[in-house]
Amino acid sequence: MVESFFDNQSECLTIKVKGRFDYSCHKMFKDAFTSTKVANSYEVNLSEVMYLDSSALGMLLLLRDYAGGASSVVKLTHGNSAVVEILTIANFHRLFEIS
Amino acid sequence: MKQVLTILVADDNPSDLVLLESILSQLGHNVVLATNGRDAIDKFDPLSIQLVCLDVEMPNKNGWEAALEIQSIAGDVFVPIIFLSGVTDIMMLSNCLNIGGTDFISKPYKPALITAKLNAIVRLLVTQKTLAEQRDQVASYNARLLEDQEIAKVVYENITNSNCLKDSALSTIHYGSDTFNGDVILAAYKPNGGMHLLLGDFAGHGLSAAIGALPLADIFFDWTKKGFLMRQIIPEINARLKKILPSNMFCSAAFIDIQVNNSSIEVWNGGLPDLLFFSQRARRPIRLASNNLPLGVLSPDAFECQIDPISFVTGDRLIAFSDGVYEAADSSGNMFFQSILEPLYAGDIEASYSVEWLMEQLQKEKVLENPHDDISCLGVRLDSNIGVSSPKQSLPKSHHEAPADFSFEYVLNADSLRNTDPLPYVLQIITTVPGLSNFSSQIFMILSELYSNALEHGVLQLKSHKKDSSDGFACYYEERERNLASLSEGYVKISVKVSSDDSNRTLVLYVEDSGDGFDFANIKHNISDTELLYNRGLALLDQLCYKVEFTKGGSAVAAHYHWNVD
Repeated sequence: MVESFFDNQSECLTIKVKGRFDYSCHKMFKDAFTSTKVANSYEVNLSEVMYLDSSALGMLLLLRDYAGGASSVVKLTHGNSAVVEILTIANFHRLFEIS
Repeated sequence: MKQVLTILVADDNPSDLVLLESILSQLGHNVVLATNGRDAIDKFDPLSIQLVCLDVEMPNKNGWEAALEIQSIAGDVFVPIIFLSGVTDIMMLSNCLNIGGTDFISKPYKPALITAKLNAIVRLLVTQKTLAEQRDQVASYNARLLEDQEIAKVVYENITNSNCLKDSALSTIHYGSDTFNGDVILAAYKPNGGMHLLLGDFAGHGLSAAIGALPLADIFFDWTKKGFLMRQIIPEINARLKKILPSNMFCSAAFIDIQVNNSSIEVWNGGLPDLLFFSQRARRPIRLASNNLPLGVLSPDAFECQIDPISFVTGDRLIAFSDGVYEAADSSGNMFFQSILEPLYAGDIEASYSVEWLMEQLQKEKVLENPHDDISCLGVRLDSNIGVSSPKQSLPKSHHEAPADFSFEYVLNADSLRNTDPLPYVLQIITTVPGLSNFSSQIFMILSELYSNALEHGVLQLKSHKKDSSDGFACYYEERERNLASLSEGYVKISVKVSSDDSNRTLVLYVEDSGDGFDFANIKHNISDTELLYNRGLALLDQLCYKVEFTKGGSAVAAHYHWNVD
């Protein structure tokens, strides 16, 4: 399950993923950021993600690319310890702001 | 939906038979007549008859018996059967449907009802026909796909497999979730002994994950064979994957370089769970965490290569596994690593048994029955003999060799020392001599020994006794990196001379550096004492070469190498 919310004031797009973050939400996740206007910054709220795999990491890279690559602002927030551990193993803290 | 059917009608009552025939004919259908069960069976042809109407009570096999036989003749072809009956016994009518009849028509016949029922049958037949066509299409498409996959799989396995994986030092385990898998384990002997190993895990699984493995394997094997170093191969793989893969595809990987001349390994981990190094001297394994982004994520100029060096003694072990192991959920749905890998990290599991142990845990938690991701595990029993060529390997076939006579000199000054590895290029020129190319691994070993001595001890002034302890070993390489990065003056001169005719075949490798030299006379006395780490290189040279001569106070050395073509 993927929900998204665009804050007009800050021009920040928040994408919230629920449950399993894997290939099954590929289309929904991609639609979430391509179907709205281009945002200034992005937040992926992981608070309800129970599980994430390597295709989820790939989707995050896709978002980062879309948001401008090295100059992008993409925050990954509220991940549980297992989720943060997987992000850390992949060294994603060097590409994303993880909090 | 107007369709002309050929209908077989069987009834022993001639007037009923003729009546039904005329109704059906008026609707535009063709009618074949039979007068009893046996006659109906004989006249039934599944290729021409699309519908069968059977009177229930007939002599010489009744309607039900005939229906069963007709169904068995029809086989896979769907031919609806309608029973005709004068009785209105509910039990009997429902039995008609139970044995596979499609419908029944009660006598006396009512033309309006028969028309409606036939229209329904025609609709059924059309649907059935479409379904059968689609089923056949899907089946043939699936068969073609499987055939394609099988061919692709053979190609894939030929490219990603090397006989080196069968080396007794290695144990590997693999469970795939698809025909193709996104995990690769590559192993290749280096020309100067030792081995390169790579365990890679592409994002996703199936064919799309496997496809990235082809360029990866290609670079890995080709560059290893040519004598390139791990720190040159990794950036090249990264650059190639970055260029060809879509941005959501990447490869988490561990690259292991086993160096036999100084009994050490170097490990690069980009995105895989911690590798574990089991030293026989320590209870807990050393965890080698991922300090790098996976391959194919960063652009070449942003890519860094963080490597952990470790020295080993024969019998130490290393294991690596893909995140299929790590991310697997146990039978209660928890992610695996939290609880189950703990004993392994704590050193409670015997190192030699660790790979099997890991598989037992996966088995116990029923992960292997239904892996949601590919699962791979690689174990290495470290040994200073890994990849050291066996005699049969270096025995070339006897052949006549054309004479060769050439020399060249390659001087690297500070800037080039920092940025270039000259050895693969030098080796390439030397091995243009056919006889010498058979000995490329020995020559590369000599060349790299001479060059690293000149660079590290001569130009960079590093003291090799620092490598004695495993801590010192890491320090030594850090210092090497640091000194090299800030190098502003100094040189290494490599001079090669080959002369070969029928009676005399000599290769002279002369390497000179800008350093202070060393007390070679004194060290030579200890050359048999291979326990001294820094002597090993020299002992090796002595073994391989006809003679090794130091000049210029130890800052220049000439290695004379003779070879045979017989």
